[in-house]
Amino acid sequence: MLNYIWAGLIVFSMLFALATDFSEILKDRFRNQEPFPVTLQLPDSYNAQDRRTEVQVVMDSGTYQHFFGTQERPAASYAGVLVQTQDGSQLQFGSNTTLPEPLLTMQAYHARNDGDPLRATLPPAFRPDSSVVTTTVQFAPVRFRKLKDIGQAALDFAETAASLALGLIGVLALFLGMLKIAEAAGIIHSLSRFVQPILRPLFPEIPKDHPALAMISLNLLANVFGLGNAATPLGIKAMEELQTLNPSEDTATNSMVMLLALNTSSVQLVPPVLLVAIMGLQINQLVFSITLATLFSTIAGILAAKFLSRTRRNRASDPMLNAAS
Amino acid sequence: MDTVRDIISVLSAFVIPLLLIGFPLYGLIKGVRVYEVFVEGAKEGFKVAVTIIPYLVAILFAIGMFRASGAMDFLIAALDPVMSFIGIPSEVLPMGLIRPLTGSGSAAIVLDMINQYGEDALVVKMAATMFGSTETTFYVIAVYFGAVNIRNTRHAVPAGLIADFVGLLASVYVVRLLFG
Repeated sequence: MLNYIWAGLIVFSMLFALATDFSEILKDRFRNQEPFPVTLQLPDSYNAQDRRTEVQVVMDSGTYQHFFGTQERPAASYAGVLVQTQDGSQLQFGSNTTLPEPLLTMQAYHARNDGDPLRATLPPAFRPDSSVVTTTVQFAPVRFRKLKDIGQAALDFAETAASLALGLIGVLALFLGMLKIAEAAGIIHSLSRFVQPILRPLFPEIPKDHPALAMISLNLLANVFGLGNAATPLGIKAMEELQTLNPSEDTATNSMVMLLALNTSSVQLVPPVLLVAIMGLQINQLVFSITLATLFSTIAGILAAKFLSRTRRNRASDPMLNAAS
Repeated sequence: MDTVRDIISVLSAFVIPLLLIGFPLYGLIKGVRVYEVFVEGAKEGFKVAVTIIPYLVAILFAIGMFRASGAMDFLIAALDPVMSFIGIPSEVLPMGLIRPLTGSGSAAIVLDMINQYGEDALVVKMAATMFGSTETTFYVIAVYFGAVNIRNTRHAVPAGLIADFVGLLASVYVVRLLFG
């Protein structure tokens, strides 16, 4: 099941990315290689020899909407920089303002770091002769943007996964240490006596004074106190005790199913350590929502186990009933 | 309801201190060598963190790609009418799907959602509550029944999944009630 979900996530992201990329190429969303008309406002101090000149970039909103086939409306002007490079003049803008789409997407596509400006090249013949010039600029083409994105995301997330996990070490150690103390102090053993009478009606198949019920109560209490490490061995011991009462070798009894249902839904007073480590102090509040939610799921688990055991199919397969008849 | 929220916000200040002071105190009373036992337990911290790395990588990178491709937004938007009908935000759907299957993977989902929506977001609280309130049902069934060689599990899987489902629904409603 998990295999399919996992593979599905990967395959679907691939297909989705490809579909988006091809539709963008077909619609030519970014007008790759097409010159785009802009007006530049140069300062009075402009000198063609200067390597960098602060300019204002004005995009006519009618032209913009027609050119990119969008409803987006560019602002009146954008602060930019005119840079002289070896390959000619380059216009950089949008590093400290939000550009309209699709320019924003194009900026993000080419940016190596956050906040990199959108770069556009000016025609080789660009020689401004007044303080306001109209010219065309050309943006670097954008292709297979989503495919690049998912590759980047995969690498980023793999990296964060490891660093996040290592960041959890301290808090995990703190709470695992605390839980070890609770375990060594026998918190579950001292409470076991009080829980057994409550559990008794749920396990009518267990004879009085049989050790199975004690094991079950220890297992469930370990769950309640978030002692995951202790809960599993206790649960297995409880299962083994139940198996001694089971007349069949390979068929689960109602008690076993009830134990399972209680285990998967059990009331949690202390949340799992992993969650504590992830959520930090937020866990203070979540303790209440978790306790309440588990209260409901425990009731549902008990009812489900009880009622499902009464269906005709489950009565027919009940090893206890079969042995009695 | 407001008074309940007030009470919870006051009580919640005590939760972590109570654990951190209560357990050693209780251990002391019971005659446990608290310091040594604490250190022994704390040694597990590194092991647990390292053990979950492969699971976190597997789930986080797949979810990350799914998000980056835009498929997640599409799925959330597509399911929103159905989900909002039962009062569940579609953002928590990945959690509901993954939770019964893998515990560390669900931790990865919580981490991804914190990344995406911020730590205080209601959907993050819902997902965290889901993580805390349900178990890795399939794993529990495999381990417990495997230990005693039970092959015919009868109604264990449906009962476990019903409990999970109610737990997931309850997480959403309870979080909305308490913090919404």
